[in-house]
Amino acid sequence: MPSAAVASAPGISTFLKSLKGGTPVDNSIEHLVSLLKRRQIRNSRPCAIATTQLLLRVVAEFKGRDVAKLIERVRHVGQKLTAAQPREMAVGNIVRRVLGLIREVNEDKEEDEDISAISDFAVAAPHQPSDSLSRPTLSSHMSTFSPLKHGATMPAPATLQHFDSSGSSDSVGQDQAENIPRRPAMYSAQSSYTGSSAPLATSLFGLLSHPETPSGASTPSLQQSPGAKASLTARNLAGFGEDFVKARDIKAEVIDGIREMLDELDQVDDQIAEKALEHIHSNEIILTHTSSMTVQKFLLTAARKRKFTVVHVEAYPNEHQDTHATIMTGRKAGATDDADSDPRFKSLTAAGITVILIPDSAVFAIMSRVNKVILGTHSVLANGGLVAAVGARTIASAAKVHKTPVVVLSGVYKLSPVYPFDTDELIEHGNASNVIPFEDGDFVEKIEVMNPLYDYVPADLVDLYITNLGGHAPSYLYRIVADHYRVEDINL
Amino acid sequence: ASSERAMAPPTARVTENTDRQPSQADSTETTQQIVDTDRSSQQPNGSAKSAESVPAEPKLSGAELKKKKQAEKAARREREKAERAAAGGTSVAPNTPAPPQAGKGDSQKKSKPNQQDQKSNQQDKDQKSNQQDKAQHFRRGSGTTPTSQKLPVRSSQPSTQAMTRKKPSSKEVGLFGHLYGHPRRQTLHPTPPKEVHPSVLSLGLQMSTYTVCGSNARCVAMLLAFKAAINAYTTPPQTSLARHLTSHYLSPQITYLNSCRPLSISMGNAIRWLKDLIIKIDPAVPEQDAKLDIADSIDAFIRERITAADTLIASAAADKIQNGDVIVTYAKSSIVQKTLLQAHTQGKRFRVVVVDSKPLFEGRNLARALSNAGITVQYALVTATSHVLGESTKVLIGAHAMMSNGRLYSRVGTAVVAMQAAERDIPVIVCCESVKFTDRVALDSIVGNEIADPDELVGEARGEARSEGGTDVEEVQGNAVNNQGALKDWRKRENLQLLNIMYDVTPAEYIKMVVTEYGSLPPSSVPVVHRISTTV
Repeated sequence: MPSAAVASAPGISTFLKSLKGGTPVDNSIEHLVSLLKRRQIRNSRPCAIATTQLLLRVVAEFKGRDVAKLIERVRHVGQKLTAAQPREMAVGNIVRRVLGLIREVNEDKEEDEDISAISDFAVAAPHQPSDSLSRPTLSSHMSTFSPLKHGATMPAPATLQHFDSSGSSDSVGQDQAENIPRRPAMYSAQSSYTGSSAPLATSLFGLLSHPETPSGASTPSLQQSPGAKASLTARNLAGFGEDFVKARDIKAEVIDGIREMLDELDQVDDQIAEKALEHIHSNEIILTHTSSMTVQKFLLTAARKRKFTVVHVEAYPNEHQDTHATIMTGRKAGATDDADSDPRFKSLTAAGITVILIPDSAVFAIMSRVNKVILGTHSVLANGGLVAAVGARTIASAAKVHKTPVVVLSGVYKLSPVYPFDTDELIEHGNASNVIPFEDGDFVEKIEVMNPLYDYVPADLVDLYITNLGGHAPSYLYRIVADHYRVEDINL
Repeated sequence: ASSERAMAPPTARVTENTDRQPSQADSTETTQQIVDTDRSSQQPNGSAKSAESVPAEPKLSGAELKKKKQAEKAARREREKAERAAAGGTSVAPNTPAPPQAGKGDSQKKSKPNQQDQKSNQQDKDQKSNQQDKAQHFRRGSGTTPTSQKLPVRSSQPSTQAMTRKKPSSKEVGLFGHLYGHPRRQTLHPTPPKEVHPSVLSLGLQMSTYTVCGSNARCVAMLLAFKAAINAYTTPPQTSLARHLTSHYLSPQITYLNSCRPLSISMGNAIRWLKDLIIKIDPAVPEQDAKLDIADSIDAFIRERITAADTLIASAAADKIQNGDVIVTYAKSSIVQKTLLQAHTQGKRFRVVVVDSKPLFEGRNLARALSNAGITVQYALVTATSHVLGESTKVLIGAHAMMSNGRLYSRVGTAVVAMQAAERDIPVIVCCESVKFTDRVALDSIVGNEIADPDELVGEARGEARSEGGTDVEEVQGNAVNNQGALKDWRKRENLQLLNIMYDVTPAEYIKMVVTEYGSLPPSSVPVVHRISTTV
């Protein structure tokens, strides 16, 4: 393992620096691949940030005009990255979202062209009544384009749409022609990052869609794209049908969309933390484990208003040092210049919360007095199960036995379309010397030391997910997955 | 009169003992021939006369003792009384000097039936006090404020010492507040009472540092140390071995051991048995013989209740292992180790997964022993339990104690393994000698438990360091340095508490079978076996 003590150790911060430093993009890709392979960037959040930043560069430096080629390029980079570290599912998630973003922007663009160029096609509109009915919600987030959401009846057209530029999406074009006036307003509303659907109500379709849209059900990056396109579409309507302009516009929109994703990554913990008071009451005894910053912020937010007790399981042997550091200082060991660090951030103990540190073995013993289990996670899967730091399964099982509710905090970027047919392949195994030091050579020679890093926790052990979109039952997660990934991107 | 007697303070027993002596003397006339020189003068008087004269002796000695003790131990008695009032009685009860002996005359005139009543009554009492011994680590400090917690069961010196070492109460986890006693004695610095035998002294320190660890090992080591101590014992003049040994000689040893680390259930059972044994010794038996007798009995106890029981259990449990099994075990149990080794020598091919946990890492020793014997061993920590259980076929675990409600009281983390095994319908088999059975019951792991030094969680593997080679010690120190980077100053951090409990309680429904020397039983049969093993 890279020693975290060395200040200039390769990691997320050095990578981001090198990205800004103007390294050729191909070198950056290789750089990230090697960092991922060496586990010098690990855990969902750094991986997601690094991937997003890299894809931002990739898209920005893409020279061609062909959207299909851009998609191919991003997909290719994504394949490289996920192959480097398939178990960091956040990487794949981000790649899929960027792909979805490009597709959506492209489709919107094509629709606009259809309107301006071939208005005859509008006649064909009524052949998809259900589609046009649900359009109002669709127009603000790409998720609705997903066949998963429309139902399994429509997978093929969705895949075809972006290849066949004169496809069957003309009715949408008409809708959007009407939508044009509201777009600037939406743009500003979204850039304020409320994440609420209120701005939609400013348009006719917004009015229609408003009741249907779950509050904050869309992630900002996706809201951004139609908004960003607003001024451009106007130009298109004015007669600029040129490929060149289109490619550049799409690029600009995609880049804006990726920037929004970066913002999302930046704020996701705070958004989750905002919901803390809805879930923690006074004098609770809350059990958590590992050094998840999402959980820490969540608990800290609740600590401003309420008094409770936190039982912190230390997650020995892989994360105990981070856990200890989190308890003492509020941030992970060696996380001095990470994007994680927040000068205002303090530890729970400093916020007046009693923290009881226990070893992993005492989970069952103390569970009978715990009111609520709050877990961070590594990634969340489409079936409602999750992959979290090792020990989570034990905790969740003990909680189930004691009828203690288990709450999982996760940003939407951790939500992966992967379905866990084989849970073992999701589990990464770590350094055996964390369990038994290699100094004890004879002993280590003779035995097989196991050090899994992650646990798969099945959906039935989880009572509630809290994401930046709100609280969900595990059984609802597939919908959020469908909202965020295009079905054609699920297999990168 | 008997009811009066029952109401009398426990120390009235000293005189009550003497009542019994005549009757016993009747039955053992042969031994009377070889009594001590100081008694031989009374011997010709015959049993009828000795019935009066023998009691007279203790009366004298009792009075003398009382005077001495009143002079030198007044303060201690006061404290002990206060403590008994607070904690509901502790092991020091037998230590208390004799009360005013007004009832003495009555006792001498007692008829035989009454004496028998007395005898059983007194045994009851003795058992009770033994139970209190045993249960002391559950009770100590219960319901006491932090200031009264520093009142230990020992003499005045340790109490002052405890005062200086007393932790700030904010570092005690509120839920477990009743379990915090004074910290374990790690040194001989507050000099223990002079009567504590050197072998007990060293054993105590070995226990407090986990050098001697494990319910069986501690029990055997304690009995052996007591054997040595009893061997070195000489009955003071004016008293008899049966009356003096337990209360004035063994009790300080027990109290000392308890201050090093709370006694285990098996130790409590063994002490109860030993006290019972001593109390039954005919005072007419010469001291040397009595001591030899006790030593033999201790050896027999170890042999029958532990060694032979282990052999029986190991062969019974080894029969449960089949070719191709994957056996999961947790931490280290000597009996599980024996079972696995025996199954291995029987030529069975199986794999063992040792699940282990911080801070003791006892499983490493087991894994080492098994792998040295040629068994395929996998080693994982308790967090990875769900992974290792995937392909396992049986879970074999040892016990610290079996509770009367069928629950298993064992090293913390056992419940985690048992729970996940039960979840997957993997049978959980507990190997447990009947000496570890107790009539106590437990529902959770919080009411009764043992709190170890939380600093053990800060450093890494301190117990391991002592039981292994030099390289490990270095490693441990290296790791400790790493670790302490974060937690070094945890005591200074407000609101931060570390909890290091030693045991947890596994619900009976997770346990498929308890293998004892009486046979293999469901956990619901534990109280029955306990009754058999204590009454036989």
